[in-house]
Amino acid sequence: MIQRVPYSLKHVAAIFVLSLAPSLFGQWLHYPTPGMPRRPDGSPNLTAPAPKSKDGKPDLSGIWAAEKNRPCPADGCDDMELGQEFLNIAWGLKGGLPYQPWAAEIVKTRKARYGQDDPGSRCLPTGIVMMHTTPLMKKIVQLPGLMVILNERNVSYRQIFIDGRPLPEDPEPSWNGYSVGKWVGDTLVVETTGFRDGLWLDRGGSPLTDAGRITERFRRVDYGRLQIDLTVDDSKAYRTPWTIRLNQFLVPDTELLDYVCLENERDIKHLTDK
Amino acid sequence: MEKSSKRDACVAKAGQWCVLSACFGIVLIPAAAVAHHSFAAEFDREKTITLTGSVTVFEWSNPHARFYLNVKDQGGNVINWEFELGSPNGLMRRGWTRNSLKPGDVVTVNGFLAKDGSHLANARSVVLSDGRKVFAGSSGDESPNQ
Repeated sequence: MIQRVPYSLKHVAAIFVLSLAPSLFGQWLHYPTPGMPRRPDGSPNLTAPAPKSKDGKPDLSGIWAAEKNRPCPADGCDDMELGQEFLNIAWGLKGGLPYQPWAAEIVKTRKARYGQDDPGSRCLPTGIVMMHTTPLMKKIVQLPGLMVILNERNVSYRQIFIDGRPLPEDPEPSWNGYSVGKWVGDTLVVETTGFRDGLWLDRGGSPLTDAGRITERFRRVDYGRLQIDLTVDDSKAYRTPWTIRLNQFLVPDTELLDYVCLENERDIKHLTDK
Repeated sequence: MEKSSKRDACVAKAGQWCVLSACFGIVLIPAAAVAHHSFAAEFDREKTITLTGSVTVFEWSNPHARFYLNVKDQGGNVINWEFELGSPNGLMRRGWTRNSLKPGDVVTVNGFLAKDGSHLANARSVVLSDGRKVFAGSSGDESPNQ
């Protein structure tokens, strides 16, 4: 019995084009993102509605970069532009951060040293807040019950469990802490605790202690924009909890490119207070 | 893309390292670098330098690509200068590759001097002797005070 082959001429043509892909797209630096909504000219339509996952929730998957909201130098923009919040996490916060006295003092010292003691300068992990502000790309992979964030910086990862598990009661302190999330409408609300002491929230040296609890509210505004409302509740370092908004923008038609800080680090010996 | 008035003078401002570079009609595209360390803790944005020399080594590595340049000083001595660029992934997104520079290339570099007085600078633009721009790299990682 002859079965009908379930492929039309269109399917065959598509397979032929895909077979040419390796020669058309020699590297993944430039590679069409599958499923990307596009305009008639083929360009990504980043204002299309946010995609949905199979369970009907917004799908936050994609490659994201921090907002470039800092004016360029007079002679032109740097090509890895630092956002304001990378340097000062409270840039958008009227009145600045409600530091405890010791925290205000340590920030003053760290700024006087140009932030050279930043763990990032030593190629150490920089934590979940600076992950949102560092001008390297992140890839969110949203799965049933789990969201994974792959980070170019130090080829690292973060896991956010959305399978109903509670936060650990006595967590072993870690760089990224322990994250659980739940959907509230179209917003993914993520709670994280269990940080190790001594993390920096920005290059200015705003501290995060092991008492810190961070709440992130992820909302994909449209296909190309992700808003993260981030609340830091850390009574050791701050008199009151505070909240900022961090905007992320989708980067279409590319892939992550490894960045391994310790590969050939040679700057530390040159850093100075001068 | 924009032209630099500093380029028009084609004169660097680094004491004995002042080098009169040929006027290529260079178009500068300021570029790269990543948030690995504070720019202000290592380099002085007020002290620029322009040098012409021959590439000895090109390191395509993280967290910064680097190249080394043999430059003659006014006394005829050859000094090997080190120039820091952005990270390879940032540079690749600007169109550059691990083959963009090679030993023997004669280039003119504009950049910012290291504060510690070593023969190190953060490159802002790199131009081949034929006038072709091959590279541009600079750190945007200012200090938190700025």
